[in-house]
Amino acid sequence: MMASSYNAKDEDGHITVSGPGGSTLRSKKPENTAFKQQRLPAWQPILTAGTVLPAFFIIGLIFIPIGIGLYVTSNNIKEFEIDYTGVDMSSPCFNCSQNFSWNSTRPCTCTIPFYLEQPYESNVFMYYGLSNFYQNHRRYVKSRDDSQLNGDMDSLMRPSKECEPYAFHENKPIAPCGAIANSMFNDTLELFYNDPNGTKIPIPLTTTGIAWWTDKHVKFRNPGGNNPNLTAVFQGTTKPVNWRRPVYELDADPENDGFINEDFIVWMRTAALPTFRKLYRIIQKKNNIVPTLPRGNYTLEVVYNYPVRSFEGRKRMILSTISWMGGKNPFLGIAYITVGSVCFFLGVVLLIIHHKYGNRNNSADISN
Amino acid sequence: VDCQSESFRYPQLYSPGQQNLYFNKKVFVRCMMHSWYSSLILFFIPWAAMHDTVRDDGKDIADYQSFALLAQTCLLVVVSVQLCLDTYYWTAVNQFFMWGSLAAYFAVSFTMYSNGMFLIFTSAFPFVGVARNSLNQPNVWLTIFLASLLCLLPVVAFRFILIQLRPTINDKLRHKVQMEALPAPAPRRPPPRRISTRRSGYAFSHAQGYGNLVTSPPGWSPGQTFTLKLSQYSNWWCFLADECRCHCESVHMNIYRI
Repeated sequence: MMASSYNAKDEDGHITVSGPGGSTLRSKKPENTAFKQQRLPAWQPILTAGTVLPAFFIIGLIFIPIGIGLYVTSNNIKEFEIDYTGVDMSSPCFNCSQNFSWNSTRPCTCTIPFYLEQPYESNVFMYYGLSNFYQNHRRYVKSRDDSQLNGDMDSLMRPSKECEPYAFHENKPIAPCGAIANSMFNDTLELFYNDPNGTKIPIPLTTTGIAWWTDKHVKFRNPGGNNPNLTAVFQGTTKPVNWRRPVYELDADPENDGFINEDFIVWMRTAALPTFRKLYRIIQKKNNIVPTLPRGNYTLEVVYNYPVRSFEGRKRMILSTISWMGGKNPFLGIAYITVGSVCFFLGVVLLIIHHKYGNRNNSADISN
Repeated sequence: VDCQSESFRYPQLYSPGQQNLYFNKKVFVRCMMHSWYSSLILFFIPWAAMHDTVRDDGKDIADYQSFALLAQTCLLVVVSVQLCLDTYYWTAVNQFFMWGSLAAYFAVSFTMYSNGMFLIFTSAFPFVGVARNSLNQPNVWLTIFLASLLCLLPVVAFRFILIQLRPTINDKLRHKVQMEALPAPAPRRPPPRRISTRRSGYAFSHAQGYGNLVTSPPGWSPGQTFTLKLSQYSNWWCFLADECRCHCESVHMNIYRI
């Protein structure tokens, strides 16, 4: 006779089954805690008019002033741009753009005069801009060796396969290898101020402080530790094919030479879009009384080395001041104003809808 | 609506599922349009914001790595908030995982883009410094905020309009439960004189609204009492419970509240 029996559910909800011989087997039912029985306290958000409508109005009221602030800030930034590609025959750089060849030892210079209508206060930043230059092409972006650029001696002599076909030249490893390094921007831009009495005053341009701190001090390191003799360190390598000078002759200053040259670092940070600008030089402010760049006539002298006409690219020089939101970009301001207004308008529309049709929820066609 | 009690009271709640109202071609097309719109926003807003822009110290921010991080962060924020909108039942577990996943994203990003990881695995983590240099720009955060709101406001507006113009049985029921669970009327102070006869048998004095519930109201039946009390205090806090426990708790809770 089987002695097993079911006991009634006890306090905890556990069912104990008595097997033959009087032993009790515990069932596999989970414990009766709040967590396991899904009885946790919960909050149930519902989209009611009382929450949605005020939210829309508040967002509208917050966005519009932010947008106005952004737009005004952007408008107060002064920017000046010169396209010096030399497409037009009347442009001073037309001859340079036509006569390009990789082997020319005598560089081509052109001079472009311009006039600044407003004085520029505080630090002025000088950029070079390129158009129709796809630094975001996938094969191009991968064509670099970060270990080599970080100073690894092994990678210096044996660059990675990603750099192909710019890894070896005449059986020597290229330092720095890759297509990005090979296509480095090598125009030289200089600014002169034309005094009212005719003299050309060169404007001092700062070459350091243009790259990210993390790039200059962490990502890019010269091989050979702190060896100041870079020529010896780079012994056995060769310069990239399109460069005129090897990497250890980029600058006389040893803090800015080799892989840690800031122009090189700025170029190696590939741009996301085909029209981009990169920081070239900084014109430091003198003091708070005299503007950094006063009104008047200026001259831009270009040593035209970089060919862009073959792919319909354009080169430009940009002078710009900076604010807390960066350079001159009215998009954010306009977008915030637009979204704020649309939000506010939508709030009004929803309010009208709620007023006219909102009681459909109360219709008692849910029977018990 | 998730309360077991509500499902028993209103079996019509099962009909939307049976009529395939929540997953059909129309809903699928709507979902696709929403994702198409979101994708456009999540690319073109960062694109327009980063076009020809620089940091607040003049250095680069429109580079490929910062742009990628910006688009990715916008996406994470949009997805998280969309998840919040779709979660109808917020327990502590939900809160932990929702906020936790956003925090984990930032923690992992900063870890992956730190100096240490770069120096150990150089070729695997080339984005060194990107998080630090781009996420400290007010420009970037304003763009993230704008993209997230642009993706989410149409969803909220659309859902709200649907609730107002074409409420489903779920919406009507939620509304009804919310209306029924109005805050309890303020308990009136009992008169100082003692009540000689006590019909309730409980030691506490009751406010008008509850007294006749605990004692024997006309037409009392256990099931009726249980559901009425449940809806009265399950305003925004809904306890999922089996019936027996709920009945006991409801009576106890009612007494101790006053």
